[in-house]
Amino acid sequence: MFRGGRLTNAELNEAARHYDGPYRPYDIVKEVSVATGVVMLIAVILTILFSSPDLPPSTIASWSRSMPTDFVTTALSELDGTSETATYGPPYNHESGSVQQLAFIHLQQWLGVSHPVNAEYDLIIAPLRTIPDAPALQAAVTTYVHAPAKTQAAWTNAYSNALGKATEKQGGAVTVPAGSYGPVGPMMSSLLALAESGGLDGDLLSSKQFYQTDYTKPLLFLEDGSALDDRATYQHLQGTQWGMMNETGSYPGQVWLWLYTFWYQVQIGGLSTSPNVDAIVMAIMGVLSAAFILVPFLPGIRSIPRRIPVYKLIWRDWYSATGAPSKPPRTGDDAPALPSLRPTET
Amino acid sequence: MRGFDISSIVNLNGTAHYVHWHFFLMSVPNLVVIVLMLIVFAVALFLRAPGAKRPGGKK
Amino acid sequence: MSSWTVRVREFGLRNLPPERLLPDSQPAYMASAIYLFGALTIGALVTIIASGTILALKGPAWWHVQSIGHFFNSIHLWSVELFFFFMVIHLWGKFWMAAWRGGRARVWMTGAVAFVIAIPTAFTGYVSQQNFDSQWIATQGKDGMNSLGVGSFFNVLNVGQMYSYHIFLFPVLVIGIVSLHILLVRRHGIVPPIPLADSVADAAAK
Repeated sequence: MFRGGRLTNAELNEAARHYDGPYRPYDIVKEVSVATGVVMLIAVILTILFSSPDLPPSTIASWSRSMPTDFVTTALSELDGTSETATYGPPYNHESGSVQQLAFIHLQQWLGVSHPVNAEYDLIIAPLRTIPDAPALQAAVTTYVHAPAKTQAAWTNAYSNALGKATEKQGGAVTVPAGSYGPVGPMMSSLLALAESGGLDGDLLSSKQFYQTDYTKPLLFLEDGSALDDRATYQHLQGTQWGMMNETGSYPGQVWLWLYTFWYQVQIGGLSTSPNVDAIVMAIMGVLSAAFILVPFLPGIRSIPRRIPVYKLIWRDWYSATGAPSKPPRTGDDAPALPSLRPTET
Repeated sequence: MRGFDISSIVNLNGTAHYVHWHFFLMSVPNLVVIVLMLIVFAVALFLRAPGAKRPGGKK
Repeated sequence: MSSWTVRVREFGLRNLPPERLLPDSQPAYMASAIYLFGALTIGALVTIIASGTILALKGPAWWHVQSIGHFFNSIHLWSVELFFFFMVIHLWGKFWMAAWRGGRARVWMTGAVAFVIAIPTAFTGYVSQQNFDSQWIATQGKDGMNSLGVGSFFNVLNVGQMYSYHIFLFPVLVIGIVSLHILLVRRHGIVPPIPLADSVADAAAK
């Protein structure tokens, strides 16, 4: 209870229930209509001046053509199970690479695998199986799929090392030094050709049904590579760049997300580098949002407007017109009756 | 795909400038919006609404 | 037992008689320009819905292929910026007036909930853009959603789902909570000034 002033919080609330003072004419419908017209005009002026941003999306085709080595490196990581998608965890699979928790609360795990994505099969094997009239390729895929895990790992590790010394032709092939990669070599070069032709974009989208709005597979694949990442860094959209509140180009962004992105910059207590940073930030913002909604009930917070009297500026005309009383209104049996709110009692 | 629209008077598709101070990093457009909000708020505190009169009957 | 209809009607008339729902006068203490920002926020919301309705008529891909579509998309984006701009100034004003006084806690709370709900509403819009920005925001946003298990039923990588949340489900919620907020304002009236004698400065001066 704030006693720096004269009234308790309860007395202040009671005093605010009633007003029996003067009114003046007011046209509420006109005010809202004029306000709407003014805002529409401002929006149209801003549109004519600045338009809005529309950077074309990356596709698997555009990514594989402009960054073929990066594409093949990513595809290999999907095949050998080391990519971020392959190791993510729920809701995509049962791994734990990106699983977060808040103390003993494991919501991500508890809500389970609801959008199963098998990186090796869905992103690599299944699309390769759709390539027609390629018996050598299909034999290579069959060899890979039936090989023991250790053999598969030997092939993929060797190929991964070779990619470090690869040469590429944009829109064309990736050439690695000779080595024993088993069927992995032809699988990767066929997948690259499929991607560059645009076929992989379509394959990943319509693998289960013709009409599809679920871009989970192509977007996870794209995100595992560098195409989106490099563009995001250039546009200052990374988490470490306060990216959550930024827009592409020089447009104003989502300024209201300033406090969400702020926590990702806090290094105290290892917050910004914690594997649970997303869960922690969401929890912090949940608590702060609840506190924001409940301001009227928070002692201390609800007293701030009385401690820092900005209200004296807002109601200065009223105070000078009514003559500010030197004593607060009295309450109790001998106090004058509090004025009532027109037109009906609250 | 048309890419970004060029039919605007001011082209905002170039790279933004940034204000970087210790760990604070904000784009100039966002900073402009925030500063504008503070200015508009302050001005609104001092201005009267249309139709409101100063005490004594004068607008 | 009296009819439900009569009870609803009497509840409505008791709390919001016509002259309170649509008054033609206002308390004399409402002189400051800060009082305009609620109406400006409503104006921005109307502009968002109007421009959004036009965008919905032609579907999500329209603005990428037609200049007139891009024009209405720009109006939609700028009116969102204006909505948050005016809404936050409105909430600053209401905070410094301690506008929750006198039984008006629900007015503050519904306004705060409107702000909180506006954020995911805007988010679903950003991921419905079908351009690079939406690809990035979706792939980043999914980690926040997944970390709390929300991703198991709210897939930000599913453009169809996000679009239907954005053009129907969230707008219904926003319009509902904003309408409740406005009706509560009309029900309780605009909060009277803080009594001037109630201040630390006055107490210290005595």
